[in-house]
Amino acid sequence: MLEQLLIFTRGGLVLWTCRELGNALKGSPIDALIRSCLLEERAGDEAFQYDAPGAAYTLKWTFHNECGLVFVAVYQRILHLLYVDELLNMVKREFSGVYNPKRTSYYDFDDTFRQLSKAAEARADEFRRTKQAMLADTRKKGIDPKSKSDKAQKKGSKSSKKTNGKEAGKDGDSDEDDEGNGNSVRSANGKVGGGSSHDSGVTRKVSVENNGGSGNSSDEAAGKKASEIAFNVDKLQKLRKGAKKGSSVVVKAPKEELGKKVKKNRVWGEAAPPSKLDFTDPSDEQGEAKVAILENRGKSLMDNEEEEKFSESEFEEDADGEGNNGKPAAKKMGWFSSIFQSVAGKSALEKTDLEPSLKALKERLMTKNVAEEIAEKLCESVAVSLIGKKLGSFTRVASTVQAAMEDALLRILTPKRSIDILRDVQSAKEQGRPYVIVFVGVNGVGKSTNLAKVAYWLLQHEVSVMMAACDTFRSGAVEQLRTHARRLQIPIFERGYEKDPAIVAKEAIREAMQTKQDVVLVDTAGRMQDNEPLMRALSKLINLNKPDLVLFVGEALVGNDAVDQLTKFNQKLADLSATGSQQLIDGILLTKFDTIDDKVGAALSMVYISGAPVMFVGCGQTYTDLKKLNVKSIIKSLLK
Amino acid sequence: MEMTGEEAIDLQLQQQQFWWQKHDEQQVALYATLGVFLVTLFVVFSVYLAAIRRKKSDTILIVGLSGSGKTVLYYQLRDGSTHEGTVTSMQPNEDRFVLHSELEKKGKLRAVHVVDVPGHARLRPKLDEFLRQAQGIIFMVDALDFMPNIRPTAEYLFEVLSKPLVVKKKIPVLLVCNKMDKVTAHSMDFIRKQLEKEIDKLRTTQSSISEADLSSGVFLGTQGEAFKFTQCTNKLTVVESSALTGKISEVEQFIRSYVKP
Repeated sequence: MLEQLLIFTRGGLVLWTCRELGNALKGSPIDALIRSCLLEERAGDEAFQYDAPGAAYTLKWTFHNECGLVFVAVYQRILHLLYVDELLNMVKREFSGVYNPKRTSYYDFDDTFRQLSKAAEARADEFRRTKQAMLADTRKKGIDPKSKSDKAQKKGSKSSKKTNGKEAGKDGDSDEDDEGNGNSVRSANGKVGGGSSHDSGVTRKVSVENNGGSGNSSDEAAGKKASEIAFNVDKLQKLRKGAKKGSSVVVKAPKEELGKKVKKNRVWGEAAPPSKLDFTDPSDEQGEAKVAILENRGKSLMDNEEEEKFSESEFEEDADGEGNNGKPAAKKMGWFSSIFQSVAGKSALEKTDLEPSLKALKERLMTKNVAEEIAEKLCESVAVSLIGKKLGSFTRVASTVQAAMEDALLRILTPKRSIDILRDVQSAKEQGRPYVIVFVGVNGVGKSTNLAKVAYWLLQHEVSVMMAACDTFRSGAVEQLRTHARRLQIPIFERGYEKDPAIVAKEAIREAMQTKQDVVLVDTAGRMQDNEPLMRALSKLINLNKPDLVLFVGEALVGNDAVDQLTKFNQKLADLSATGSQQLIDGILLTKFDTIDDKVGAALSMVYISGAPVMFVGCGQTYTDLKKLNVKSIIKSLLK
Repeated sequence: MEMTGEEAIDLQLQQQQFWWQKHDEQQVALYATLGVFLVTLFVVFSVYLAAIRRKKSDTILIVGLSGSGKTVLYYQLRDGSTHEGTVTSMQPNEDRFVLHSELEKKGKLRAVHVVDVPGHARLRPKLDEFLRQAQGIIFMVDALDFMPNIRPTAEYLFEVLSKPLVVKKKIPVLLVCNKMDKVTAHSMDFIRKQLEKEIDKLRTTQSSISEADLSSGVFLGTQGEAFKFTQCTNKLTVVESSALTGKISEVEQFIRSYVKP
């Protein structure tokens, strides 16, 4: 049974809700749907999962683009209702017949809805009965036990949802036992048998089951991950109980693994290899004199105001009062074309009409280095918002699609929250603690270089900065930061190599608090997103120190791997974080922007997949080469 | 046969007259069409200008954070009731109507053009589309949930006040503290003081990353002094309201004062 079915306009007014299903929804699922799905250009998704204390809902929706209406159905997640999509489409058809833009109350729709829902439920029951009859036949033949495979399917879907990181850590312990059972059952059944019996019939059901089916196949691999997650949850619990004891246990684990893989030094020729390759001299007085102190290089590019030349011309036009040519002219054209339309009778846009122009747009986006998955999802979302719309007679399909895509891109690239770091630094200062920024990313993207650029920018705004050298793995990393610190004349906290980065960071923050530094910039080692122990070490660093800003450093040259990097980083941070304090990637630093001419798609992929705004853009290799993201110019180069 | 001189002149005159007549008719026809064309052009142009002038002088924008009550206020102004409720807006609500409370009044009723701009951060750029036609801005503040959202509220207000168009045309802003029907809502003065303090801080940090063209001298208030709303060159007034229950009289007053009948 549905929990609720709503009809509302795109402008936000609720037109009709079912009076019979009078249950009040817990939390605010509709607002969550709009904010995290429809406005995030994920309107092409199948369903939206919403969790509130005391309820778990699934939401499905459909649009009527001509009238600007949205139809949403809410039901409990544990029920797998088959008829929801059908019901939504029927409701859409009936309601658009009754709809009038001037009317705001539709009480008479109750009866229509009652009939429709009864019809839909009856049809679904009938369908289920026929399916059960079919399966009863196959069971008689003894092909595969349906009940077991059904249980496995449910577990499969549960675990696939878990690997999405939505219920991170909460059901950790209870699901572990289920995983164990599910694993054994699944390996007995195999994936093909379980999947095919559900393949007939309703397309939506297939997609739900396919999630379960694919969950089956990936679960062989995920089973291992599940056990590792289980292992880590135990470790985290131990960590919570006794800080010192716990940390020593966890510290030992990565060290043991490092110890197992210790590299043997390479022997060149017959000379005996040196025993120690670290020539760093801790108290290097001479080093200070050799490093040139940085003289003022001028303003960092972050402080450049955007050059909006067109805003100047707007002033003159408005002063005369005739500058409103744009909108009224378009409106006049629209009135004229709507009259023409009513005479000529244009039909609504169909998916087949949109397909060629959407395909061309997707190709264009991909040539601009947007990840393939992202381009696909975006085009789907734009298609969903355009189906059923009536074209103006003097506009082509391609231009409508282009305008809709531009709108969507503008929405994605506009940040969800403010990215005023200086204000955040100020508020942290008022609270008497330093503002901690952690730079994370894969190998070689430019973390240390851009850390120095950010330090330079902050210094120009009279903020006291301290660097923390928590990259204790790469040779020369600490020296690199030390050189930057000496040139910029800021303190650096270092503890040498082969120390636990989490502990180094903790001590750095403590020292910053004592010496009243405003900002601590923490440099970490580069790590691949698939490297399990390194990702665990990273999440330990973040959990232990609770930084204010986790900045993911990604290069603009990356292609489809951006999607994988960001999803895995976020997933690991979510899975391995202590319960209650989930901290994901808060911002993105895009580097090597000067090396790409107009293939700026990496910015779009990263922002779409993570939802985090781009806070800085590194566009060169000197201290001043740091700037803000110019949304309009990115959209222009993407759609050129 | 040779024509005599007189006859030749006569003939010539006749020919000329004939030519003049023909030319006259042609000219008349020509002038007639030209005249009709000019008249239609003039009529169209004047209608068009009147349309713009009407649009220009009475667009009121309702802006504010998501969840502050803009759509509720919009429907209260238009229909006098909030119908079945509202959800987060995905696109602006725009209409030209007579205020619901004025429908019973006798006399000439002038319609106002009100635009409810969505408050969600991703839809911020939509505000710029309507700013050109704005004659007044209503900034809604949620007085109930004020303290957790004080920074985003102040940043949005700062952004609106620093927009070049707002400064140049001195668009008046009405700060509405909404949801006053609830017991735990903050008072008007408290909200005003807190926002002034926040904007004071934002003036220094935002000056490096604001989109406003600083060369036009957009620095809110006076340098060296703590920021106060009275320092703004455009008029900014603070009122209370409760859009849900319909206590919006001050808002309606504001709208009426800027829409001249």
